[in-house]
Amino acid sequence: MRRPCDVRGNILWAPNPLIVALGVALPWLWPATSQAWSYKEAAAPYAGQSITVLDEVTPLQETMQKLVPQFEEQTSIEVDYQLLNHFEVINRGQADLLSGRGEYDAIMVHSPQMGLLLDAGVLRPIDDLIANAELTSPDLDLDDLIQPSWDTVAKYQDETYGFLTWAYNTVYWARGDLLSHPDEQAAFKAKYGYDLAPAETLQQMRDIAEFFTRKKGDKLAGETLESDFYGILLEGIKGGTTWWTVWNSFVRNWGGDIFDENGSPSVDRPENVAAIEFWGDLWQFGPPGMAEASLIDVPTLMGQGVTAQALAWSDFGLGIDRDGASPYAGKFVYAPSPANADYDGPRSAEVEPSILIIAGSSDAPEATYLFLQWLADRSTQLALAEQLGAGVPNRYSLFEAPAYKGSRFAPLYAAMRGSLEYGEAKPRVPQIYQINDALAGLVQQVGLGQLSAEEAMRQGQQEVLSICDRCTLGE
Amino acid sequence: MTTIGYSGKDVARGKGAARSRPGGLWYPYLLIAPTMITLVVVSLIPFLYVLYLSLHDVRYGQVRDLAWFANYATLLSDPRFWNSMWVATVFVLIAVPVEFMLGLVGALILNRGVRFRRIVVPFLFIPTMMAPIVVGLLWKIMLAGSWGLISYNLLERFGLFTDASIFASPNAALYALILVDIWQWTPFMMLAFFAGLQSLPVNPYRAAAVDGADPVQTFFRLTLPMLSPLLAVVGLLRLIDAFKVFDTIFLLTGGGPGTSTESPSIFAYKLVFEYWKVGEASALAVLVWLSFFVFCSVFYHVARKRLNAF
Repeated sequence: MRRPCDVRGNILWAPNPLIVALGVALPWLWPATSQAWSYKEAAAPYAGQSITVLDEVTPLQETMQKLVPQFEEQTSIEVDYQLLNHFEVINRGQADLLSGRGEYDAIMVHSPQMGLLLDAGVLRPIDDLIANAELTSPDLDLDDLIQPSWDTVAKYQDETYGFLTWAYNTVYWARGDLLSHPDEQAAFKAKYGYDLAPAETLQQMRDIAEFFTRKKGDKLAGETLESDFYGILLEGIKGGTTWWTVWNSFVRNWGGDIFDENGSPSVDRPENVAAIEFWGDLWQFGPPGMAEASLIDVPTLMGQGVTAQALAWSDFGLGIDRDGASPYAGKFVYAPSPANADYDGPRSAEVEPSILIIAGSSDAPEATYLFLQWLADRSTQLALAEQLGAGVPNRYSLFEAPAYKGSRFAPLYAAMRGSLEYGEAKPRVPQIYQINDALAGLVQQVGLGQLSAEEAMRQGQQEVLSICDRCTLGE
Repeated sequence: MTTIGYSGKDVARGKGAARSRPGGLWYPYLLIAPTMITLVVVSLIPFLYVLYLSLHDVRYGQVRDLAWFANYATLLSDPRFWNSMWVATVFVLIAVPVEFMLGLVGALILNRGVRFRRIVVPFLFIPTMMAPIVVGLLWKIMLAGSWGLISYNLLERFGLFTDASIFASPNAALYALILVDIWQWTPFMMLAFFAGLQSLPVNPYRAAAVDGADPVQTFFRLTLPMLSPLLAVVGLLRLIDAFKVFDTIFLLTGGGPGTSTESPSIFAYKLVFEYWKVGEASALAVLVWLSFFVFCSVFYHVARKRLNAF
């Protein structure tokens, strides 16, 4: 390029190469620096708005409640973050959604509720909001949300209804001090022919249950028992999550299910019968009150040292396995929900992915969406874990974070990750709670020895058919 | 209407006096108007709305087409409805008479004079004063399988319920709930009957004593007839209340095991809050009301003629 010259050929002006380079690069750099996404800027059009959010009360949400002011500070969106217990959040939340009363802008929804709510058409999809670059952080990283939990709970007919916020799951939970005791290990190996360790299969779980069921006066880890000790504790109460656990931790691990490929009832399959028989057989190794044991009683009694092992909701472990909460704190071992050694098909575990949805009646969907995004955001979830000292990861990357990897609960988190790998949300069945009620009552009777598994499944088929003949929502 | 202690002249005097009352004949109605309006608003209107819902197809809380008696037909052909009515009937037929007898015996004992009665009576009344959730949690702890206060320390030591807990046995669960109800409501019956005994006139007893009547004769010929209107009313109220039992069942068994303790109230709760079948739940409420309406009408007629009640 010829530089400008005067009439004598003297160079009048020569652009500095560095300035030229900067001038070329700056337009490319400027958008990145001045247009970096932030909650503050995204929320600017909605500053001053108020939203009401209904969530479930567990230590996770109670801790999140303390972090909510940070969101309010960033966005100037006022959030009334209300917490209710499990049953109330379902009843009240559903009542609000179905009535259209609109008291809540966002409501926590468990996966079994999705069928009814989708059928009623009261949920607002968020795909348009996700696609809105002004509202969605480029760092949201939706691929990081745990699968298949997120897809199975939040998506239906190519529409998305929320982010995976709470990835509840069940894990195998056992007394590590008993499993590692030399006397117990030697006796177990002599009897069963393999090493005593946390169960990887349901069959191993049964062997351990049988081995550790002892009477008052027997020896346990070198000590004489002052009362009966039990080999396993399972949730057995009618209602609660008894049927969910039986279905996903047992029935589906036998290759069974209660609906066929058309969504019609298929309860009395041979696979289902075999699975229920196995589950019912475990009751002989449990305490007499197992038929009353709820999802809360199981970890509570586990913490009190009543039993050697259990299948329990993992978030309870965070509360029970602490000094002051249990005399056996620090002695528990965890593993993913066991597989069926006799079944080569897809493995299954009971999980309960939960999302917060935007109510169809909400008049502040954008502000609500920002809050839901913030809840599911990696940084928020990390802050939650740091504040609580524990957590239930909703993202893969969180398992690698120091707050989780370096935690004393690392084995529990590893177990959670294992269960979550195989767990799916409940199918989209509007009458699923009614079906749950019917089948939970029947399997409870199997556990109590009042009904055979075959008869229970036969009755179950009749009952489910009386509820619906085409149960799942069409895809 | 009971007119013990009043002559016909007194009643006539009352009638005649109405005409000279300020406001005339409308005055009494004006006085009861606020109560009646309140009753209409909080009782009649909601009931009419439930009746309306029971006659419609209600889907996910939204009232749709008129369904006439379809909800009733569905309910009446549902074995679970009949089971719930049976559970409530057994509950009432056992709990209420036991509470009645124990309450009457207790009231008679109190009426004869108990030392430190002023301290004893409030203590006796504690179960009735307790909130239902406290009662439920208390008995859940006392009867919990393998570690409950009663179930472990008492029953298992005698080899009872060693294989299954009380609340896991269909028959035992229902009887346990009946026991809890008796524990909670016998003091109420006792106090009501005691108040009635205290208000009875003494002159008949003096006359009976002069005539040489023994305690048994006095009780059956004097006390029971004079007390019968109160016994009828309290018994009826308790019967209605027992049929509607919800809180203790909800807390202790949730209607299980199976449906062995599922009362109509529990069933209605599930229909509404778990299955979202509002139409059927409304029909259930109307059917229960209808059953009681018929029963109370018969009871009223019998009690009025035979017991001089109402």
